[in-house]
Amino acid sequence: MWKSPKSLLLAAAVATVSIGAAQAQDIAAGEKVFAKCKACHMVGENAKNRVGPILNGIVGRAAGTVDGFKYSPAMAKAGADGLLWDEANLSGYLRDPKGFLKGNKMAFAGLKKDEEVVDVIAYLESFDADGKPATPAKQSQAPAGAAAAVTTADAAGPSRETTGSVTEAAGLKLGLGRTATPEEIAAWDTDVRPDGEGLPEGSGTVAHGMEIYDERCASCHGDFGEAIGRWPVLAGGQGTLQAERPEKTIGSYWPYLSTVFDYVHRAMPFGDARSLSNDDVYALTAYLLYLNDIVDDESFELSKENFTSIRLPNEDNFFDDDRDEEPFYADKSEPCMTDCKPGAPEITMHAAVLDVTPEDGGEENASGGGID
Amino acid sequence: MTTNAGASRRAILKGGLIGAAALAGGATASRAGASESLITEIQDWNRYPGDGVDARPYGKPSEFEAHVVRKNVPWLTSDAISSVNFTPLHELDGIITPSGLCFERHHAGIAEIEPANHRLMIHGLVERPLVFTMADLKRFPRENKVYFLECAANTGMEWRGAQLNGCQFTHGMIHCLMYTGVRLKHLLDEAGVKTEGKWLLAEGADASGMTRSIPLDKALDDCMVAFGMNGEALRPEQGYPIRLVVPGWEGNMWVKWLRRLEIGDQPWQHREETSKYTDLMANGKARRFTFEMDVKSVITNPSPQAPILHGRGPLVLSGLAWSGKGRISRVDVSMDGGRNWTTARLDGPSLPKALHRFYHEFDWDGSDLFLQSRAIDEHGFVQPTKDQLRSVRGANSIYHNNGIQTWHVNSDGVIENVEVS
Repeated sequence: MWKSPKSLLLAAAVATVSIGAAQAQDIAAGEKVFAKCKACHMVGENAKNRVGPILNGIVGRAAGTVDGFKYSPAMAKAGADGLLWDEANLSGYLRDPKGFLKGNKMAFAGLKKDEEVVDVIAYLESFDADGKPATPAKQSQAPAGAAAAVTTADAAGPSRETTGSVTEAAGLKLGLGRTATPEEIAAWDTDVRPDGEGLPEGSGTVAHGMEIYDERCASCHGDFGEAIGRWPVLAGGQGTLQAERPEKTIGSYWPYLSTVFDYVHRAMPFGDARSLSNDDVYALTAYLLYLNDIVDDESFELSKENFTSIRLPNEDNFFDDDRDEEPFYADKSEPCMTDCKPGAPEITMHAAVLDVTPEDGGEENASGGGID
Repeated sequence: MTTNAGASRRAILKGGLIGAAALAGGATASRAGASESLITEIQDWNRYPGDGVDARPYGKPSEFEAHVVRKNVPWLTSDAISSVNFTPLHELDGIITPSGLCFERHHAGIAEIEPANHRLMIHGLVERPLVFTMADLKRFPRENKVYFLECAANTGMEWRGAQLNGCQFTHGMIHCLMYTGVRLKHLLDEAGVKTEGKWLLAEGADASGMTRSIPLDKALDDCMVAFGMNGEALRPEQGYPIRLVVPGWEGNMWVKWLRRLEIGDQPWQHREETSKYTDLMANGKARRFTFEMDVKSVITNPSPQAPILHGRGPLVLSGLAWSGKGRISRVDVSMDGGRNWTTARLDGPSLPKALHRFYHEFDWDGSDLFLQSRAIDEHGFVQPTKDQLRSVRGANSIYHNNGIQTWHVNSDGVIENVEVS
């Protein structure tokens, strides 16, 4: 191992200077890139040497100098010869580990994009040599991993008393897990049923719903619920369920309004789920009723109180699974083995006619059904 | 198989007119009498050492298998974050799908969850609502089970006729794994389900908050909460750290990143069981709660992405069969579009609600073939034809298309997805 006080000082200087330059978004992006490194390398206060050495304080560090890590002879020698992990060297190494230093043992093909290299270095720079945030100012951008691990460690074990005996017969309790608190259940249990169970207090008008919709929904679902591209169509389609191309919308197909409330509340807007208040969701649901001509008054207000009085037009057109009664399933006789059809087979439909198989280069002309 | 051969196959698929035999020439053994330099000359790998044991701490397939990957069909959905890719069935054998090739279907991308930060809650109509950590779950008795998972929309693009040229795309929303986990019944017993409980709501921790209602009888029967697949932890895209396993039932119910189980007295009628995963019939009415996956099979080799490159002579036909009701008892294959059938050979373990592998070896004389396979399960359910399905359901069901698939093989060994009279 090779250590030089001079280069350690230099390392500190390099780190200090470059931290100022690193942007928060680079650090965040770098944390994602670091997912590729995580299998072998650790950073942070609890970091240990794994397949690869600890990376705390790597930027500016002399190569091959982490205590207790067994480097390849090539890396140890490069460090002894003065290789310093400044940004330039680190960039070269991360792009092409094998090409940069022959004989080193990092089994990684290299980062292909320059952006990834810059970001991951910014992320690594956000840790000091002890794995602490490099400066107090960076604390808010510090990786979630370290902080989260601390908070969860206490809660990890079961807090209920273990009753001990191992079950063989089903139904015997092991005493594992702990009682869920009312606050925890309330935080996760947002589901709503057709009978109104689960609806929160609140209300919202069509007019308010339109404002929210235009701002947060129209970019994918279109100004009138007609949808952009292949994003879901929300309105229209009434009378098309027997057509060649049915349009299945809230108004034409969905059986229950509660589904709209539940889904918008849990999963919308796409990319920022669970960001709408209960009143917002009532308002949006009211506006979707309006877009589907189920209510026609912009001042209509949907609330917990009047919610279940509203029925969607297609509710009665659903029936339970009866596939087993279909003639080809109900008939349990032995299938035909010889001369089952007359004449030679004739092709009635070619896949090549549509040519939408990705490998064939066909796209954008889908005429078949989607996967929904 | 080299990447060049893969490219050749694509050329064949695209051109359709080039003789497969000519292209295949380089890949087959040389003519009698001529010596191959591969044998007479010393090769690099025969002289120089390769990577040592530290080079590949987590082993990956050979670089020559780089073409064996999951593929997306970009036009199907608006965004890859809420989309699907397909298992390359034509490149696989046996009944277990390699972990990294299992098709993916996400509704809001892959949730990346550190196990220490994951919780599973059970509440609703139970004696005591509970929260489990991953450590808690691993203290319950475990089991290992092999099950297929098929998306209800698998083959859904083929309702209106042959559309996609390759079993990866027509049938690739399926995989079959060995799961390690805890019987769901053990967890529900721990909370104590009240007698009025009839349904269970399963919810995922991802940004789509995926939910499905599952009848309690099924939940107490063979469902599992799995943390392992094929002997290791679940892959992130398959729900790491835990997913629900609902054997024989449609894949959408196998909630990934499972965080919550609520017991109730009726179904919740959420988005994925009303606006989706309901099967629209020709008369405008729709079937709901079509949970079970029907008896089905497909010939994976030869198939459009795996044409016959070796010319006439001995040929191994191979495929997969499965049923959500249990074991496969028999698979028949036809060369003439369903006129005459021969029973194929089932090989490997026959496990309930798991993929079954079948083979049929024959001597190809170079004539046109219309290959079909027909599966029969242990309860006597026979895989129907697509026309039979359409005669009852119309063509707008999207889901549960288990009709018999036809591959047309021409005299060059080029194969196309067709429908026949």
